[in-house]
Amino acid sequence: MRDSTVWRFLAGRGAQYLLVLALTVALNFVLPRMMPGSPLVFLAGEDVGFLDAEQRAQLYALYGLDQPQWKQFLTYVGNLARGELGYSFQRGRPIAEIIGERLPWTMLLVGLSLVVATLLGTALGAMAAWRRGSALDLGTLGVAMFFESVPSFWLGMIFIAVFAAGLGWLPIFGAVTAGQTFAGWALLVDRARHLVLPLATLTLITTPGTLLITRYSMLSVLGEQYIATARAKGVHEQAVLRRHAMRNAFLPVATVFMLNLGFVASGATVVETVFSYPGVGRLLYEAVLNRDYPVLQGTFLIITVSVIAANIASDLLYPLIDPRVRRR
Amino acid sequence: MRVLTFILTAVLLILSVSVPSPGQTASLRMAIGRDEGSLNPYTYQTGYPGWNLMTLIYEPLFTPDADNIPQPWLVRRYSVSPDGRTWTLTLHPNIKWHDGRPLTADDVKFTYEYVRRHAHSRWTSQVRLIDSIETAGATTLTIRLTAQSGGFLMQPLAALPILPRHIWEGVAEPRRFNDSIGSGPYRLAEMRDGQFYRLVANDAYFGGRPKVRELVLPIIRDATVTFTALKAGEIDTTVRALSPELVTEFEKAGGLKVVRGAGYASTILQFNLEHPILKDVKLRQAIANAINTRLMVRLLLLGYGVVGSPGYIHPDSPFYNAAVTFTASKSRAVQILNEAGYVDRDRDGIRDTPDGRPLRFNLLTLAGNPIRVRGADLIRTWLRDIGIDARVVAQEDASIIAQVWPDFDVCKGRNFDMAVFGWSAPVMNRATSLRDLFHSDCRFGTINIGGYKSAEVDRLGNELAAAVAPAKQKQVLFEMQKVIAADVPVHVLFYLDGIYAYRPDKHDAWVYQKGQGIVNKLSFIDPPKR
Repeated sequence: MRDSTVWRFLAGRGAQYLLVLALTVALNFVLPRMMPGSPLVFLAGEDVGFLDAEQRAQLYALYGLDQPQWKQFLTYVGNLARGELGYSFQRGRPIAEIIGERLPWTMLLVGLSLVVATLLGTALGAMAAWRRGSALDLGTLGVAMFFESVPSFWLGMIFIAVFAAGLGWLPIFGAVTAGQTFAGWALLVDRARHLVLPLATLTLITTPGTLLITRYSMLSVLGEQYIATARAKGVHEQAVLRRHAMRNAFLPVATVFMLNLGFVASGATVVETVFSYPGVGRLLYEAVLNRDYPVLQGTFLIITVSVIAANIASDLLYPLIDPRVRRR
Repeated sequence: MRVLTFILTAVLLILSVSVPSPGQTASLRMAIGRDEGSLNPYTYQTGYPGWNLMTLIYEPLFTPDADNIPQPWLVRRYSVSPDGRTWTLTLHPNIKWHDGRPLTADDVKFTYEYVRRHAHSRWTSQVRLIDSIETAGATTLTIRLTAQSGGFLMQPLAALPILPRHIWEGVAEPRRFNDSIGSGPYRLAEMRDGQFYRLVANDAYFGGRPKVRELVLPIIRDATVTFTALKAGEIDTTVRALSPELVTEFEKAGGLKVVRGAGYASTILQFNLEHPILKDVKLRQAIANAINTRLMVRLLLLGYGVVGSPGYIHPDSPFYNAAVTFTASKSRAVQILNEAGYVDRDRDGIRDTPDGRPLRFNLLTLAGNPIRVRGADLIRTWLRDIGIDARVVAQEDASIIAQVWPDFDVCKGRNFDMAVFGWSAPVMNRATSLRDLFHSDCRFGTINIGGYKSAEVDRLGNELAAAVAPAKQKQVLFEMQKVIAADVPVHVLFYLDGIYAYRPDKHDAWVYQKGQGIVNKLSFIDPPKR
């Protein structure tokens, strides 16, 4: 009995996700083509004006762009079904290969930042709520508001000016030292040194979100009667905070974490661009500028799949952390 | 034991790193702004610096010198028949591909035929003129043209890099072919998408020893970050031109040198000549008179530029007609408008056409380019002063192209009023430049984005295309500049100087190519001895 309920639930959810995926596949095709502009300059080379009509036709035919849109769409879906993401117009390389190169960098930067920001945000948010109204609370809130509203571009520039160019502690750009080969320990140090500033920028920008949610959630939990009961029973304050308050206040934070987890694969366009970090976000940005339809389609697809995967994971995990949503 | 291992490792390391010869720069870090594919003739991306970097790896038969005059490079001797239609070329005998195979006349013939079949905007149209190519032995070939052509030496002879036949034969989709074996002074040693390129000097190069042993090209997306890195010494130079407001700061900075020269890239006010109102030459003349280009150069370029010529050609070009001049005058602008019947009929502050349509236009400009955005704003202000309402619309490049130059095909028409636009330096360098820019037949006037029509310019343009002697080219171009100055199909605002900063202690053998800048082959290798 119990098993069949679970399966029915999963089948229902599965159908929902398949629908979302199908819609995304269609939108991924339509949206990039709705932008004004043409990828021709990247197919033909910079002196694109010197092509005659026949050469243009040859190029369009080569990339299937001469076909009516619905035919192009069928080709695209057919290729997808065979697991082919196609070739980048601009880079002339298979999309899967390009994304495969970019994804690890983005995972490293955005994934790590998500973990750090969640830990930091939760701890600070809980502390602020616990000491509500104190100088600590107000100070934390002020700093959080500041970083929440600062543009990441600007913050990145300031970090570059101070810590990289000014003090010379860290490199200014890139994920590795260009043109040099390292091994072992030196390699790790080189990667880490390049990671610090983009990671710090991204983390500082994203921490306030978690912090504010935690604080708000904590405040509402702290107002609950069971907290008063626990205190009345004489439970130690630290225990009230950890066992009674934080556990419950953590639920919305977990939800936000899972949502963000799905978007890790989309990278951090602005931070990756400022620091010339070779992530997916920058790839996406450049593909938009260059009207590189296949790259846009492939990247959006990867992002959608990972968002859906994160949702499935959270569907499965949520009953474990919240007994109320457990099914009988 | 550990000490021994250390010493051994150190010795091995020293041996494995190739030592630069005296007078040769060991390693130079030159930042670029974006990816350039696998740097072969079909995958490089930009006219600058992509083409310049690609030609360090793949070489054309001729190479433009510091004055942009093509000089023999892979070619040792050449002759042209009196009718200009038969070119006989003899290659250097000892040129090798990076894989050790010899480069022969056969590779040249193959390349010219290959690009004819596989469209590339920069070469395919230019090789269509070729009637036949015959090789005689390994180093000699004869190219016959269907008609004489003034531009043939520059394009394709000094532009089309030779491909190795043994690698490219059978390649059906060149844009998905990422091989990088060329014959140039540098070979591609490493390439990381989105991160950097590393080029290493080709020891077996026929033309001698490159000036720099290793060339590292990090990709830095953001211009401000690029210049911060240059100042901090994390890179040695960049292909990006220094923006005017940074010049003084960089001139004062220790360890850096700034060079400046003519820039052939233009910034223009482009009119849509098919626009029902803007097609009137009087109105365009009035607009040109209202724009103070001298002040623009002072305000926007801080003086680091040259006021636009009315005939398009930069004053430093050998083809510039100094007799064609233009001085803007606001009172003259007002006078022209009044005489042509453009007066404010409905008293809303905006002049109207004689049949009552207001002089109200959109002015497109490139959002990412502060100089062009501010330029458009100045134009808006000055036009407002004479009763013309220009609304500045700032958009990104692809969106502007979609309106000004749909599908990059002037045959497809246009959909805009006015645009602050610009052409890159090579446009000025082509002997046929003014024909490309202004011929009314869209097959010849391939970048006539305004849709300009003039029987006089068409006639002169056809003459220009067939002119082989420089003196004749010059005479025709002089005439064309006169007509263009009178008709104002575009109003050239200014040419920004090329300003480049670098660390001279790393490399100081830069050659400033006129109108183009320091990132060219001559900065890295001297021409081969004939």
